[in-house]
Amino acid sequence: MLRLDAITVQFGGLTAVKGVSLSIGAQEVVGLVGPNGAGKTTLFNAISGLVRPTAGRASFEEADILKAPMYKRARMGIGRTFQIPQPMHELTVRQNLLVAQRFGAGRVDEAKVDEILSFLHLSDKADRDAATELSLSELKALEVGKALATDPRLLLLDEVLAGLETASKRSFMKTLTELHARYRISILIIEHDIETISNLCPRVCVLNYGQLIADGTPQEVFSDPEVIRSYTGGGHD
Amino acid sequence: MRVRVLIPLLVIVLYGVVPFALAGNNYVMSILVAALIIAGVALAWALLGNLGGMVSFGHAAFFGVGSYISAIVTMKLGVPVFAAMLLGGAGAAVAAVAVLPALRLSGPYFALAVLAYAHIFKILATEFTTITGGAGGILGIPTLPRVLGYDFGSKVGGYLVIVTIVLLFALVYARIRNSYYGYALRAMHDSEDATRVVGVHSTLLKALMLFLSAFMTGVVGAFNAHCINFLEPDYAFSSGWTMLPVVAAIFGGYRTLTGPLVGAVVVYTVDQLVFKSLIPSGHQIIFGVLLGVMILFAPDGLIPLLAKKLQWVRQPRGCRDPRTESVC
Repeated sequence: MLRLDAITVQFGGLTAVKGVSLSIGAQEVVGLVGPNGAGKTTLFNAISGLVRPTAGRASFEEADILKAPMYKRARMGIGRTFQIPQPMHELTVRQNLLVAQRFGAGRVDEAKVDEILSFLHLSDKADRDAATELSLSELKALEVGKALATDPRLLLLDEVLAGLETASKRSFMKTLTELHARYRISILIIEHDIETISNLCPRVCVLNYGQLIADGTPQEVFSDPEVIRSYTGGGHD
Repeated sequence: MRVRVLIPLLVIVLYGVVPFALAGNNYVMSILVAALIIAGVALAWALLGNLGGMVSFGHAAFFGVGSYISAIVTMKLGVPVFAAMLLGGAGAAVAAVAVLPALRLSGPYFALAVLAYAHIFKILATEFTTITGGAGGILGIPTLPRVLGYDFGSKVGGYLVIVTIVLLFALVYARIRNSYYGYALRAMHDSEDATRVVGVHSTLLKALMLFLSAFMTGVVGAFNAHCINFLEPDYAFSSGWTMLPVVAAIFGGYRTLTGPLVGAVVVYTVDQLVFKSLIPSGHQIIFGVLLGVMILFAPDGLIPLLAKKLQWVRQPRGCRDPRTESVC
């Protein structure tokens, strides 16, 4: 479904992502972990079109996406959330989803929007102002809802659980598991919490200093000496 | 009062009361027409700012291009005046293509880039003497025509035309504002990425708003040319065609639909009919002070201020909180 081939992203003299090759299959759930500054969000930005890779190739469902702008990638079926929620201002929660659906999926289906609102426990907040009247966990749910409204086949979730209290985090994790079962989409999720990622993802990829250093099951990856070194500060030669 | 009642009432007043009440007073009617010309440009400016998220200091360019094109195609090609006015709007929209590279700029940079374009168009109008008449200008531009026996070239006729233009533009603005395109455009102001990530082609939508705003301004400029029957570059591309509408829109409340219209009518008519009689020379200083006060104490403008006060008055007495003007 998604295929990255030697993706490199440079900002001036800084190489944020260095030759990352990665494939994600249909309906696969993959965790992306790594220390702060490892290049995880930059890789998300490269996949979703927010930044253009300096080198490498990227395809989604066999189509080359490297030159496609961000809005086109969304319409192709790549949905994403932002680490810091970005609700569309001046709009209600429902309008946020309707706009996402109208432009991302190319049609308006209010029943589907209601279904997403209900699934994400946002039905009672549907007519609230999205930017000013939601709690953090509701904003995170809205981020997921907007992405879902675009009818994605691949969902990029950037630290959707970060900053949530334990109870909210547990509830959100359950929602994500149900989301995968219900919508049958591929998910690539960035998360710092190793226990969370191990429970959610049958496969985990580890980035360190912009390089992919491990790719396997959680047990394989988290027992890898190089991964352990990267988390304890000795991973870069 | 509900919109369903308010709109028919407004239409009756604008088409049934005002033309008859002021038919014998050419001076007041001229001021009202001038106020509506400013209202049309203010609305177009507010559309670009409110929906496109772009602040322009160069709408005089579109106004001037629209007026020149309409004047030239009527005089040199014999195009009927009303069709020429539409061509003037189309010409202004085409001229806006030159502004497209500035779309990648934002805030004051975009505003200044458009200001620079306005100067370029003014220079072009001055230098292309064979077409525009150069600095000497164009005399004898055809007035608005007689249609089915009614003379639209009269003061009342001109009023009916400009009030129709402004109402049509307001209708278009309202329809866009309340559509999914309008939602996306409004959302773009605070985070363009938030809209692009869900499939919104933000650059295209912004460009469309620029073209529409330029078209509207061009049509109003064309109307003005056929009203005054004379054009010269310093007048057609005067910065006044940018500044007065901007002041009117901000005074009325540029984030609202009615703000720019009410702002223009209030600013221009009160200035010309009241302040000018009090201080014949330099009367604009009063409005300068009023605008300063408005920006300081009610930065959202007149219409949101009135709406807030009206809401407060309508609340039951026990619910009123003068500090917060909160609703129970």
